[in-house]
Amino acid sequence: MSKVQPPLGPKVWTHPNRETAELRIALITTAGLHFRDAPAFEFIDSTFRPISASEDANSLVMSHSSVNFDKAGFAEDVNLVFPIDRFRELEAAGKIGSLAEIHYSFMGAGLSPEAYETSASQVAGLLKQDKVDAVFLTPV
Amino acid sequence: MTTAISLVRENAESMQPPRTLWVSFPLGRPLGKPDDAAFQHRVIDAALKLLSAPSGPVLADFPEDAPPAGLSDAPACPVSFSKPSKDTDSWKTKLLDELQTLVPWHDLGLRRRAGRSLVGVSGLSMTENIEKLGTLLDNETLPITELKWFKSAIEDTKVFYLEALTAQPGHYNQEQLEKLFWHETALGAAILKFNDMFAAHTTLSYMARIITPRRVLP
Repeated sequence: MSKVQPPLGPKVWTHPNRETAELRIALITTAGLHFRDAPAFEFIDSTFRPISASEDANSLVMSHSSVNFDKAGFAEDVNLVFPIDRFRELEAAGKIGSLAEIHYSFMGAGLSPEAYETSASQVAGLLKQDKVDAVFLTPV
Repeated sequence: MTTAISLVRENAESMQPPRTLWVSFPLGRPLGKPDDAAFQHRVIDAALKLLSAPSGPVLADFPEDAPPAGLSDAPACPVSFSKPSKDTDSWKTKLLDELQTLVPWHDLGLRRRAGRSLVGVSGLSMTENIEKLGTLLDNETLPITELKWFKSAIEDTKVFYLEALTAQPGHYNQEQLEKLFWHETALGAAILKFNDMFAAHTTLSYMARIITPRRVLP
């Protein structure tokens, strides 16, 4: 995929109205992560997988279709890609308000960004239900 | 609101998401360094600070590079792959023999990582995957009706090898691991053979791109 993609639409900006220490935060990754009993991502796939905060993130596996990155780091430490323990530490230290109940993974290979509009909109709705204020996005 | 890590600056420059922290880390490592909570927290802090920006889009550069692993930093490879196999060995035999040498190291790695492993996406055991892959090569056939299983089996076997080769704790050099896997193991040679077979196929050549990184091709 080209490294140069145009903006998806008009610029959207939400003004910060609270301190970070008051925000409820969710993690979203495009690393193709899921628990073993969840369906693996297809080679080209715009769907998402929920990642419950109450399950052990060390049980996550990765079915990302790209071969152009090294998995050794993720095999060593889940936080290298999905920094859930780091955010738990921030919550415990009062540096963020709270962590969401559910986080999400997409699989970011083989599709242009527009292809994710439907599933991204679904996740946006779910985040609203979970009263999430801000999302921390990680690629792979 | 969103704040994002970016590993490819050109993407963030052109797409202009609201808040992005570009990092210089290799693909696969958005938080920079495994098992380094302090470093990861610095990355996260820098990205979270962008939530306070009064206007956007904001694209900031994280000022630190992840410390690279030197070639001498990693423990020695636990397995020697230089044992010559007989010319008459089938792919299935060569691959199964190689798997057996790695099993104890994979078990060691599992204990060190408290049972954590990335293996399992294919739903088959390592032995079942290796037997199927070896039989395909011995018959010089492609898994045309089982492409999904094939891709997941390739990924499971690759990550099994990775977890075995990094069973001992240490800071591993990615290039060294990659060179070892692709140029010294029977599994690496097997995947390169599959790559060539798919690349030559009239309609399935795309499969070559999703099992082998271009940089390891001769």
